[in-house]
Amino acid sequence: MLYRVMDASELPKLIDAFMERFEVIAPVQSGRSIAFEPISSFDEIVLDYPTTLTSLKKYILPPRETLFEFSVEDADVTDYSLDIRPRVLFGAHACDINALNNLDLVFKDARYPDPYFEAHRAATMVVGVNCSPSESCFCHLLDADEVRSGYDLFLQDLGGRYLISIASVEAANILESACELREATDEDRREFRRLTRERQEAFSADIPDIQEIPMLMDAFHKDDFWAELGGRCLSCTACSAVCPTCYCFDIADTLDADGKTGRRERILDACTSPQFALVAGGHNFRETGRDRVRHRMYHKLNGFNSKHGRYLCVGCGRCVRACKADISPIEVLRFFERKGAEDA
Amino acid sequence: MIGVTEEMPRVVFAGFASCFGCQINITNIEKHLMDVLGQVDLRYWQLTSSDPMPEAFDVAVIEGAVTTEEARAAVQRLRDGAKAVITIGACAATAGIPGMSTDDHEADMDAVYGANVPHVVADGAIAPMAVKDVIQVDFEVPCCPIDPYDFVEVLQHALYGSNAYRRTSTLCGECKNNERGCFYGRDMLCLGLVTRAGCGARCPDLGRPCNGCAGFSPDANVEQARRVAERAGIGAAAFDGALRMFNQPIAVGEEG
Repeated sequence: MLYRVMDASELPKLIDAFMERFEVIAPVQSGRSIAFEPISSFDEIVLDYPTTLTSLKKYILPPRETLFEFSVEDADVTDYSLDIRPRVLFGAHACDINALNNLDLVFKDARYPDPYFEAHRAATMVVGVNCSPSESCFCHLLDADEVRSGYDLFLQDLGGRYLISIASVEAANILESACELREATDEDRREFRRLTRERQEAFSADIPDIQEIPMLMDAFHKDDFWAELGGRCLSCTACSAVCPTCYCFDIADTLDADGKTGRRERILDACTSPQFALVAGGHNFRETGRDRVRHRMYHKLNGFNSKHGRYLCVGCGRCVRACKADISPIEVLRFFERKGAEDA
Repeated sequence: MIGVTEEMPRVVFAGFASCFGCQINITNIEKHLMDVLGQVDLRYWQLTSSDPMPEAFDVAVIEGAVTTEEARAAVQRLRDGAKAVITIGACAATAGIPGMSTDDHEADMDAVYGANVPHVVADGAIAPMAVKDVIQVDFEVPCCPIDPYDFVEVLQHALYGSNAYRRTSTLCGECKNNERGCFYGRDMLCLGLVTRAGCGARCPDLGRPCNGCAGFSPDANVEQARRVAERAGIGAAAFDGALRMFNQPIAVGEEG
């Protein structure tokens, strides 16, 4: 890894250089919230921003994507040209980069490669930026507050200047040709450490730090808590729509109006949707809100760990705000805290 | 599914208590309209013809709520003659706008007509009903008005068969994809919490809360939704009141 320091006034040059060759996606004001959207100038970017309403997932795994077009008469594929745009995802927080890394574990699995995902991912550069936690952030409790890979550049704001971690040759070339850089000094490194500590202390103390979460998930699998939590579920699927790591999808064929041609589409699905576990013959493996919500939490906090050694949930807190029924991993952590207090 | 035959499937369109806007909206697919009509033998379209309904047909497309004995009998005849019945729009699916008077029909009649009830009303008016409460319905195109492309898709399901299911999840997930933020917390009431997804949350995307025209989801958690409305300072009563526009039976407590 290479580290360089750049004055903040150089940043527009970097954006301009990216925009010459890429579609640049960055956090911008959208109504009362912040959203990742394509930008046409540096001035649109809100770089010191609270977590966006939805995540960067939409650029790698769109909510709806045509996989191919087909002819009914010939019963054959007629076209599967992908809509791949070279992009820079600029201003990603650590949780969101970790979320993309988690998606990689699923979709870049050598046994089941996903060409659509891989094509989007290969055409995408990621530029991270440091952040300060909002009240629903809990990435630090799930080991997702630091990002060790999965980005091209990562910018740490040191006040008037950025300490930049450079992780790819392509990004380094663009950065070095567009911007004035200098070596990091001891003073820069001290400031970096101070800001890192400041950030660690800024997380909400109301969200309990629970050890051995996967084990507790197994231990309390049959607890009445899940009926209470899942009983509140509105079956609206907002949680998975905003989640940066919910990746389950459905496949659907739709005919064009003439009935002669059609499209096969991948449509993101949600395990909190009542029909998600409905199978041929009519049996539904997760018929109740209790079963569905519990399943979702298990995948986020337990199941993914057994397979990949890390939490699927990155603690971004989007579902905490999106769920009108107050269902979120934070409620699960609070439940474990109550159980711990009862046992003590 | 109608099944593959030598003849093109014969389709009839019938309208009952409604604004006929859903039938009109089908004409709004314009450049695709002839493509759609090319797949069927259109025998009757009430919007465009004063002729009597033909006797023989394969697919009956029904708009509107059932509000008279005559309509009830006509809907039954459509069912008896059709291999597939498709309802279009909220009026047919939930009794819709006419359904606002289902619960207090007698009182509403009294308020409107007093002692001078016209014969045409006195002789045949019934409390408005959804078509599916009168006959078995095979396919439903929801919303007020329908999305005509939804109609084309459903018609194709009837013509060619489909194993696609309709999700019962409610609207907020689709709404989040539009990234417009939530009305709750802005002193606004939105029925997306209990309304079946599928429309893409278009009204919220245009800045208007959902008023439930796609119909109440069979898996809606109305108790929790009322709690959300209470907590937002809107109140459960206001929530139920808003539901009456398109989902009167739910609003008056006949859930499920």
